[in-house]
Amino acid sequence: MDNLDYIESYFTDEPDPVRTREFENRIESDPAFAEQVAFYLSAFQVSGEAARIVKKEHFKEIYKKNHIAGPGPVRKLVYYMAAAAVVAGMVFGIYTYVKSVSPKQLADRYVNGHLQTLGVTMSGRSDNLQTGLRLYNEGRYEEALLQFEKIIRSDTSLFTAKEYAGIAALRLKEYNKALSYFEQLEIYNGLYANPALILQAVTLMERNQPGDAAKAKQLLKRIVDQDLEGKELAQEWLRKL
Amino acid sequence: MDSAGSFHYNDQEIIKQLRQSGIDKRRSEEQLFNRFAYFVREGMTKHALSEDESFDAYSDTILAALENIRNEHFEARASLKTYLYQIFHNKCVDLLRKRTTHKNSVHRPESISDRLMLLTDTARSVVQKMMDQADWNLLREKLDQLEEKCRQMLTYWGDNYSDKEIAALLRYKNADVVKTSRLRCLDRLRNLYKAK
Repeated sequence: MDNLDYIESYFTDEPDPVRTREFENRIESDPAFAEQVAFYLSAFQVSGEAARIVKKEHFKEIYKKNHIAGPGPVRKLVYYMAAAAVVAGMVFGIYTYVKSVSPKQLADRYVNGHLQTLGVTMSGRSDNLQTGLRLYNEGRYEEALLQFEKIIRSDTSLFTAKEYAGIAALRLKEYNKALSYFEQLEIYNGLYANPALILQAVTLMERNQPGDAAKAKQLLKRIVDQDLEGKELAQEWLRKL
Repeated sequence: MDSAGSFHYNDQEIIKQLRQSGIDKRRSEEQLFNRFAYFVREGMTKHALSEDESFDAYSDTILAALENIRNEHFEARASLKTYLYQIFHNKCVDLLRKRTTHKNSVHRPESISDRLMLLTDTARSVVQKMMDQADWNLLREKLDQLEEKCRQMLTYWGDNYSDKEIAALLRYKNADVVKTSRLRCLDRLRNLYKAK
């Protein structure tokens, strides 16, 4: 254990010429020590490999959820014909479709398409969070919400728990609670992909009380203007609302 | 939730986010994965791979790119899409070759650890020789036998998460506690491995 600490500091601390010489001399003169260095590096490689396997499985989950690629290669001609049929269908149907979609319908589609299941990873998240995610994916939203709220109580800074608590509340139609969690997400400015505003907009569109559609529209405009997460979706919805 | 499957950012923003530390690294990895997931279809149509094979090639592409972006080996001379497509194309060709020559999967990890490269030639050749003799399958097996928390900790370590990040993810008090526990897990792995 002491040697492992020493070996690790050689590889992770700032290089020091004296220590480097001493370390490398020891490798050359002490086979037992060299074997520990080899073990340390091998364990690092195998652990990295295990991490890649976990990630790959997680990618598979996401892929299955978002992309159904269909069977085998398809002839290009068939593609073109299918595309032409789709375009023709769109030409006939788009006008009436665009005009007939209400904010509530748009939100319903989003909730059913994107929030049906939440990604569970093998080791990417804490066990408690995973339990919550599993409950959610089994449709046990009340229990999932309780689980996420338990996590939030023990660590109020946990972004993902608040996001998931809000989503679970949304599924339970507890719109005020969902809005409260999504509003709390807004303070996490450092996040690259902060879905706070798009989720607030979805919640308002779902709640569908007087004034909600207008508020949702304002949020969507903010997303577009500030180039925030969900910009493309916000643009699409703004065209329809 | 679909982690921004349809939300697009420019290359620089993606790269910046991928290089940042923090517990939301995974979110940016998912975004990169989703952004070019249509490559899977291309692998099926252009290289006549099955969906599973093409998915494998694509996810390996993303993993290789993540490593290169984080190690600063990706210099952004080409666009992210061009860069990823080049890797993806090579992975597809490798898969086809493997399929025709019936080669089994390689059991030794492919990349030489950057850490090993920190050693000078003589010391490196001593260590490299010992690593070549290691029983990698046994080491993988023993890693799997560790208790969940240990395995998670070492997996994050292998994925270059800092002890501070691991502390936040696995709810340890601080980075020092993680370091002590992690080295203890490593020691346990070594004992398991040596006991065979």
